[in-house]
Amino acid sequence: MNATLSPIGAPGAATGAAPTAFIRKGAGDKPVLVYENVRKTYGDFVALNGVSLQVNKGEVMCLIGPSGSGKSTLLRCTNALETLNGGQVYLDGVPLPTRESEVRRVRQRMGMVFQSFELFPHKSALDNVAMGPITVLGMKEDEARTRARALLDKVGLSSKADNFPANLSGGQQQRVAIARALAMGPDVMLFDEPTSALDPETVGEVLNVMKKLAQEGMTMIVVTHEMSFARRVANWVVVFENGAIMEEGPPEQIFDHPTVARTRDFLSHLGWDG
Amino acid sequence: MNLDWNIIWTHRDALFHGALMTVMLTVVTMLLAVPGGMVLALMRLSNSKVLAGISLCFVEFFRNLPLILIIYWAFYVMPMALDVQFSALTTALVALVLNISAYNAETFRAGINSIRRGQMEAALAMGMSHRQAMFRVVIPQAARRILPVFASTWISLFKDTSLVSVIAVSELAYTSMQIRAQSYRVLEMLTAMAVIYWLMGYPQAKLVDWIHRKYGVKE
Amino acid sequence: MDFDFSPIVDNWRFFASGLGVTIALSAISALTSILVGLFITLVRLYGPPIFKPFIVFYIDTMRSIPILVVLVWIYFAFPILAGVTFPPFWAALVALTLHIAAYAAEVVRAGIESVRPGQTRAGLALGMSRAQILRKIILPQATIRMLPAFGSVLTIAIKDTAIATVIAVPELMHRAETVAGQSYRPIEVFTCVMIAYFCILFPVTRGVDRLYQRLAHLGRS
Repeated sequence: MNATLSPIGAPGAATGAAPTAFIRKGAGDKPVLVYENVRKTYGDFVALNGVSLQVNKGEVMCLIGPSGSGKSTLLRCTNALETLNGGQVYLDGVPLPTRESEVRRVRQRMGMVFQSFELFPHKSALDNVAMGPITVLGMKEDEARTRARALLDKVGLSSKADNFPANLSGGQQQRVAIARALAMGPDVMLFDEPTSALDPETVGEVLNVMKKLAQEGMTMIVVTHEMSFARRVANWVVVFENGAIMEEGPPEQIFDHPTVARTRDFLSHLGWDG
Repeated sequence: MNLDWNIIWTHRDALFHGALMTVMLTVVTMLLAVPGGMVLALMRLSNSKVLAGISLCFVEFFRNLPLILIIYWAFYVMPMALDVQFSALTTALVALVLNISAYNAETFRAGINSIRRGQMEAALAMGMSHRQAMFRVVIPQAARRILPVFASTWISLFKDTSLVSVIAVSELAYTSMQIRAQSYRVLEMLTAMAVIYWLMGYPQAKLVDWIHRKYGVKE
Repeated sequence: MDFDFSPIVDNWRFFASGLGVTIALSAISALTSILVGLFITLVRLYGPPIFKPFIVFYIDTMRSIPILVVLVWIYFAFPILAGVTFPPFWAALVALTLHIAAYAAEVVRAGIESVRPGQTRAGLALGMSRAQILRKIILPQATIRMLPAFGSVLTIAIKDTAIATVIAVPELMHRAETVAGQSYRPIEVFTCVMIAYFCILFPVTRGVDRLYQRLAHLGRS
């Protein structure tokens, strides 16, 4: 897995100054996640056809591509919500375990945010966020609640701590979901089309929270259709099609100078003018 | 047509005890049929194909037979199969418990399955075990959906206890019809029987309505 | 433990006629229950308000008392009041219809109320009369949703016909009791009758389950 290098002209390029080589974020350290020839099938349908990929620490990686291209499947293989039919996923150099008790420990290091939010409707926002630490980490209730309040404040919803999901807008629910995932103190955050189910007005509030997370150095893998978010916030973009990676690189490459013609087609299909 | 409504007052003791027996049958059956239904539902939802198969057969067997037939069948088969003489009351309870367990199993299973998979996944993604996810996320939500159906099953059971009169268990129906046979006061006794059932059943029906209103699923 | 199934074989005609009565009584009472239930719900929802409390009382009453009680009262007590006697089959038919129609009425009501009010408003906006809206917009949508529940009505009717044995209706259950009593072979007889009832009911409940699954995607409009 080599970091793709593509030269970006420095402002002084015309004058003959040496071009700056692009260095992928976090390239110096060992990668957090390594996917090696990952294969996933559902009966006859091949969702992932031998995908190899690397995620560095502190990197924001966006997975884009048409529906059914495998991006969500890869995300769900990452925290073992789906089992692999071939290949391996390595977290910090260690392959994902298969026994439930060990898988649980791995899942605690990853936070997942779902397209349909999946807040627990029978609990308030505060209790949703505190539930993970209490149930899984065995934290004391008061401590967990304090932590939950801090996280809700971080996503801008401290005034809604006692509201139940039914009384929150979609954007608010998703922000609570992000706080809930963060409550476990994960090393990696997985986002599965976090804004696809939101009204356009509320998409922004969620993307802002995600941007803030990225600025704080969280390792994030985001499956998304929000191209401008990917363009502005991602450090690395991977384009999927038919269960395989069509192209990957920094956002400037993918969006401005895609090397693969199909990428260009896909982007223009989504109305991306570049 | 000369009617003697006094007959009801004369036999008020027997009628009261009959009504009490009806209530007792209902309560005891449900006390046993709730855990019974839970066991069957968990068997059905488990990963073991054998357990799921047994549960499925059991439930389908009782869903597809009239209760009165089951009562008769239990009455004749049980003594033979187990070589013990059972009282009619025991037989009645066995038949009722088995029958209602099957219905409860379906109710519990459907309730649990009606909770979106995403809820289970969100819980697992946090690192919860399967059991934790079930008991803290899925079942609390399923309980809300299950309660109205369960309430309807309860009131059906209350009415079905009348069927054990065919094997001479002294609940309300049997008692009333015995008094009718002895006193020849047909209209009075049968009307009294209907009224007493109504007095017991109507509040239950209203309670069931209230439960459906309060806990009914609002999509 | 020796089993002797000859009483069943020898009396197969007897049983067959009982089966015929069961099927006839079930089918007819299911049909009449649905029709009566439909009628009284339409009166409840769209008729003069004076009827509503009586209809609600009737439905709640049938929910509160067992079918056995209704059966026995219609067959034994009503003749004393009215001076007419019914043959058992017709008494059973009346009693079953009376009891099951209340359930059917609630099914119809749930079906009609599940159609979004916006549908009625759209019809009114087009200038349709209430009757036309009911006939052309509401009932077609409601009926599809009610179909699985009507299947349940049939299941209930079939099971309740077995109870009619207590007033000596010559249906299958009664035949079983007669032969079991005469032949002293209750286990064989009741086991066979069990199989018969299972074979009748299983396709119906399966069909109802399938219908529920197929129509689940229709949800609320």
